[in-house]
Amino acid sequence: MASSGSGYDLSSSTFSPDGRIFQIEYASKAVENAGTALGLRCRDGIVLCVEKPLVHKMLVSETTGRRIHTVDSHSGVAITGFVSDGRQIVGRARDEAANYLETYGTTIPPEVLTSRISSYVHYFTLHGALRPFGASTLVAAYDPGTKEHSLHMVEPSGVSYEYYGCSAGRGRQSARTEMEKLAINPKQGEGELIDVQEAVKQLAKIIYTLYDESKDKPFELEMSWLCEGSGWRHEGVPKDVIASAVEWAKKEIEEAEEEDDDEMEE
Amino acid sequence: MSYSTALPTHHQTHNPLTDAYHGKSAETRHLKPNELSTGTTIMAIAFSSGVVLCADSRVSTGTYIANRASDKISQLHDHIWCCRSGSAADTQALTDYVRHYLGQLAVETGRVPEVKVAAHLMRRLCYENKDNLMAGVIVGGWDPVEGGSVYNIPLGGACMSMPFAIGGSGSTYIYGLVDSEFKEGMTKEEAVALCKKAVSHAMSRDGSSGGIIRTCVVTGDGCEREYVSGNRLPYGPAGW
Amino acid sequence: MSLSLQAGGSATRALSSTAPSATTSHTTSPITTGTSVLAIKYRSGVLLAADTLVSYGSMAKYKNARRLLPINSSTLIGGSGEYSDLQSVTELLKRNALEDRCTADSLYNEESNEECAKEVWSYLRAVMYNRRSKMNPLWNDLVVAGFKKNEDGTISDEPFLGLVDKIGTAYEDDILATGFGSYIALPLMREKYRPDMEEGEARALLEDCLRILFYRDCRALNRVQIAKVTRDGKCLVSEPYELDTYWDFKGFVNSKAGLGTDGGW
Repeated sequence: MASSGSGYDLSSSTFSPDGRIFQIEYASKAVENAGTALGLRCRDGIVLCVEKPLVHKMLVSETTGRRIHTVDSHSGVAITGFVSDGRQIVGRARDEAANYLETYGTTIPPEVLTSRISSYVHYFTLHGALRPFGASTLVAAYDPGTKEHSLHMVEPSGVSYEYYGCSAGRGRQSARTEMEKLAINPKQGEGELIDVQEAVKQLAKIIYTLYDESKDKPFELEMSWLCEGSGWRHEGVPKDVIASAVEWAKKEIEEAEEEDDDEMEE
Repeated sequence: MSYSTALPTHHQTHNPLTDAYHGKSAETRHLKPNELSTGTTIMAIAFSSGVVLCADSRVSTGTYIANRASDKISQLHDHIWCCRSGSAADTQALTDYVRHYLGQLAVETGRVPEVKVAAHLMRRLCYENKDNLMAGVIVGGWDPVEGGSVYNIPLGGACMSMPFAIGGSGSTYIYGLVDSEFKEGMTKEEAVALCKKAVSHAMSRDGSSGGIIRTCVVTGDGCEREYVSGNRLPYGPAGW
Repeated sequence: MSLSLQAGGSATRALSSTAPSATTSHTTSPITTGTSVLAIKYRSGVLLAADTLVSYGSMAKYKNARRLLPINSSTLIGGSGEYSDLQSVTELLKRNALEDRCTADSLYNEESNEECAKEVWSYLRAVMYNRRSKMNPLWNDLVVAGFKKNEDGTISDEPFLGLVDKIGTAYEDDILATGFGSYIALPLMREKYRPDMEEGEARALLEDCLRILFYRDCRALNRVQIAKVTRDGKCLVSEPYELDTYWDFKGFVNSKAGLGTDGGW
């Protein structure tokens, strides 16, 4: 205990002598141990994907502990970390969206929604009496004004950035490496960017690639999209689409493994 | 512009018969004593790349002209303006509020506010405070999403999007004229000419409208203010 | 008075209990008004009809105003009376629908627990009654159309048609009309109504009624909209269109008011 924070980790209102706020770093740790959450910005929309660990065999998993939530007609968020903390953020995000719509008569722009979520999360890192949120939030939103879609992520520190692809949770590092191989960044990629149908398959593949059946808890895959095909509404990816994506992903992974084995034999 | 609130306390002073002798019309009789009003003619037409707003300049208290060259076209944001009618005090307060909210919004979003947002804010204020306000407002302007657009917010606080709008006491005299002369897809020049013509006709028949004509043409490039002298109106005094 | 967005008078806080201010007199007569709304159940759903006129006193001020509005994926409302209040009520209902969608148990529409027409109607009754009890009514008669829910929450096959008036009276029927329509159109609709009417029949009946309302209601227009909710849970609202009218009866052409006749109108 003394070695980790030397007394500077008791409150987020105190910096350590070398300029760190340990409470925020610990909050980030809480996210790093949670189920992987992925977001991908595609040519025609955005896909969110969360690995929801099934903590108990008797869990009624389909209707409880959801990680992806609708915030507004044109925006949705995925959360990972302490789900209860995440739900608090979701509630705030909805209030902000509804309030903006009531006041101005138009949908809240993605950047404004993200910055308001950020401010809220950041506020909890300022006061001695408060605990930072142990959750990261991926924000997928469409802007009817500019007709553009965007993906943001808000971290426990209250920092937020816009991404082509982003990840949080346990598998974030490897997932990032995998996502970098996909055609999602118009600045780097040559040829056409991938569409949401392809993204659903690729995200399923990433999640299953990272999954180790012998070590990890069984999980459920939650996916939503916000795309041309859904009329830019945030909706769950149809269950049969997820199922066939998973089937495809498992097959891909199996084939890749077989190839590896073959190579080894040679 | 020329109305005010009918507060119960004013009912005792309100007598249609004597009011008539004080030069109060149906629209002005609810004004508080000495309240400034602008028995008005206002108008706005959206054209392909923007909008033209137009107004007379008379402000009256009863039959006395308190200001003969007022400006009833107020700026709400860089490319959003409005024409005011009703109580001068109420509409000034309203435009101040909307200007404030739009300014805040522009800073927060970092982009040009939409005309429909301005109209929505104006509508909210007019609707939520309808019991205390006398305000009929036309909001017009340009934004990158819709181009030029016009919204009318009448007394009760409804909000109507329309290709053109006319308002104020003088407007009743020119509905026929504008209905027959307006056509969809007018050029800027045609729209400005129609505004000036229609408002001058209203000014010649409505005792509560008069003075000069002020216009404001708003496009993506900016706004041009113009005015037509009271002695150079397109339609002048006629003996019939 | 605080002239801000938080001040009183809106439907937003329709269910909160603030006493009416002693100094303000609330809406005791409407300013911008829409006239009749007609509604009828037919074989595969519910049909609504209304014209697109919003009057300002006796002036026909707005001729392209929509008074038939979908407020969620399977419920329509039709409103007559004060148009600003109708806009406010619609905003309130759409806000509620969005909240329902966001807080639903599932990300999937087919599993969402959207309010059905009957729930919307019950809610509106409470809103309208609350406002009239504060002596500050929302000046509308509202028709709500859609389908009822089954016990298990799924949408049933049974169409729903209900009306709430400005003082919070609420009732259901197979045929409904508000405003002038309740005097002129309702008897005509009662005469012709059958529960198994085809859509075309029902629509022709509504158009006939709208036409007669145009002939006899000073606040009506022959520019109209028809809307329907169908069994598969879809709301469709037509674009405004014009109704043909007929003015060539013999008695119209040869009027009876000339000299040498027994007079007339």
